[in-house]
Amino acid sequence: MSSSGAGCDCEGLYRQLLDAMINANRARAAEVVESALAGGIPPAEVITHILDPAIVELGTRWEGESISLAQNFIASKIAEDALLRCLPDREDPDCRKGVAVIGNIEDDFHSLGRRTVGLFLGAAGWQVVDLGNDVPAEQFLEKALEVGARVIGVSAMMQTTAINIKKLRELIDREGERDHIKLAVGGAVFNWRPELVTEVGGDGTTRNAIGADQLFTALQEQALARELSS
Amino acid sequence: MNSYRRVMNTLGGLPVDRPPVFAVLGAYGAALTGCDLRTLYSDPAAYLAGQKAVQESYGFDLVLAPFDFSAISEAFGGETVWGRLQTPNVRRPPAGSVAEALAMPLPSLSSTGRLPVALEATRGLARCYKEEVPVIAVLPGPGVFPALLIGLESWLETVLFEPDQAARLLAHSAHFLIAFADALLEAGADCLVFTEGMASAEIAPRELFAEAILPHLTDVLRAINGPKVISSTGGRMNHVLDLLPGLPGVVGAIVGSRDDIAESRRLTPPGFNLIGNLDNLAFASAGSAKIGRLALDCLSVAAPAGHFVLSNSGGDLPQETPAANLKAFKESVSLHRAGHGEVA
Repeated sequence: MSSSGAGCDCEGLYRQLLDAMINANRARAAEVVESALAGGIPPAEVITHILDPAIVELGTRWEGESISLAQNFIASKIAEDALLRCLPDREDPDCRKGVAVIGNIEDDFHSLGRRTVGLFLGAAGWQVVDLGNDVPAEQFLEKALEVGARVIGVSAMMQTTAINIKKLRELIDREGERDHIKLAVGGAVFNWRPELVTEVGGDGTTRNAIGADQLFTALQEQALARELSS
Repeated sequence: MNSYRRVMNTLGGLPVDRPPVFAVLGAYGAALTGCDLRTLYSDPAAYLAGQKAVQESYGFDLVLAPFDFSAISEAFGGETVWGRLQTPNVRRPPAGSVAEALAMPLPSLSSTGRLPVALEATRGLARCYKEEVPVIAVLPGPGVFPALLIGLESWLETVLFEPDQAARLLAHSAHFLIAFADALLEAGADCLVFTEGMASAEIAPRELFAEAILPHLTDVLRAINGPKVISSTGGRMNHVLDLLPGLPGVVGAIVGSRDDIAESRRLTPPGFNLIGNLDNLAFASAGSAKIGRLALDCLSVAAPAGHFVLSNSGGDLPQETPAANLKAFKESVSLHRAGHGEVA
């Protein structure tokens, strides 16, 4: 992974940030972000050229099982710290990729994965509406329609709760929104049992949070393409 | 040679007729007796009937006391989610913060919620199988126990960013855990298994386990009598396996299905027992021939040195596991032929 931003030593800063994330050094990570900003690097470039590459690399390591949930959790916290520090630039609506509604399905209370997805989507430029844990199907659809989201991301950790996603699939179809709103599903159980994605009616999934941007972008494009063609 | 002698000889490095074999089949008992899971985990007689049915059907070398951590969370005030096919799970942990968890009174083992069910079911198993089939009881590991009280995410955050608070909650929860472990032994459990999620490579790196968890694990284990086994709940644990031999009363470890068991053997001293390491999910999805082959492969690597129990790694096997797969798994130990520490 390399990183290059115009007029900044982003490569060096990226490596320092990645090192701090892997070594669970939240304070050091904050120093790296502060030094980047103090050096005159615009917040958007800090995100694009320093934070994003570090997140991508961590995602690769997570996928390769060379880092643990605890390290991933710390990385999420560090990403959250950095995003909050750089937040004013992210508020530019022209930079947004779209609106994503996310939440854990009814009866599911395992929020870590969902929160990580929300952070990574936010870092990638999405406006994220996080409905939290134990969200009924009706609330997902209602919120998506309210904010104009083309993608709903639903998380479930266990098979017992993943099955509840079927209710949302059925509701979206019943309300005639199948072509307008796509359903992204994720969570540990989908990694163990990929066939469950189809079983619960998901339009797509990603094995980890780092893939969320790509998945949501693809699904949003599908929804918009269907809209344009109809 | 009965199962009790087979297991005890294996643990002690004495000759056995074949390696012991075991599958985690708690909820499976309900499928065999036709009762629902809520009844199975709420009625000691129903649970006992389930284990008897498992034993009669397959004859594995260990019987299992209720492996149901939701009962612990529930006793502290948490909510349980009941599935039709899976063991009950924690729906909502009892406390929203470390401070709340520290303020909660410790539940009574004899009268709170479903805790007495675990003890009574263990007594029943011990009455039925004493010195015929060993009874094992499963407890949450001391390092991950607080996750049952405040949720895994909050617990990780506390361990990582508030070590003083983490230490307080570990100490607080240890009182209950030690008392529960003692009560299970008193009820007749022959061995305790601690599923220490913090020992899993998927959850925590070696340094975090060694620095934040291992000292506490050592203290808690020292306070509990009886033989103990450490499990990583199915996750990989070779990265910390060398730290486990020598812990007070620890006779072995259940390694993860993705651990290289040959490497596990290299990492541990002679006499340390290894248990495992077939993948839970394979049991439901693979055919019986494949299960038999996987078991034989595992035996060929791990059994020759003795001190080995063939088992699945992780929690309850899926209820849809075909009977033929369990039979193939059981038969694999008979097909396997002598190595060191075994007599044909």
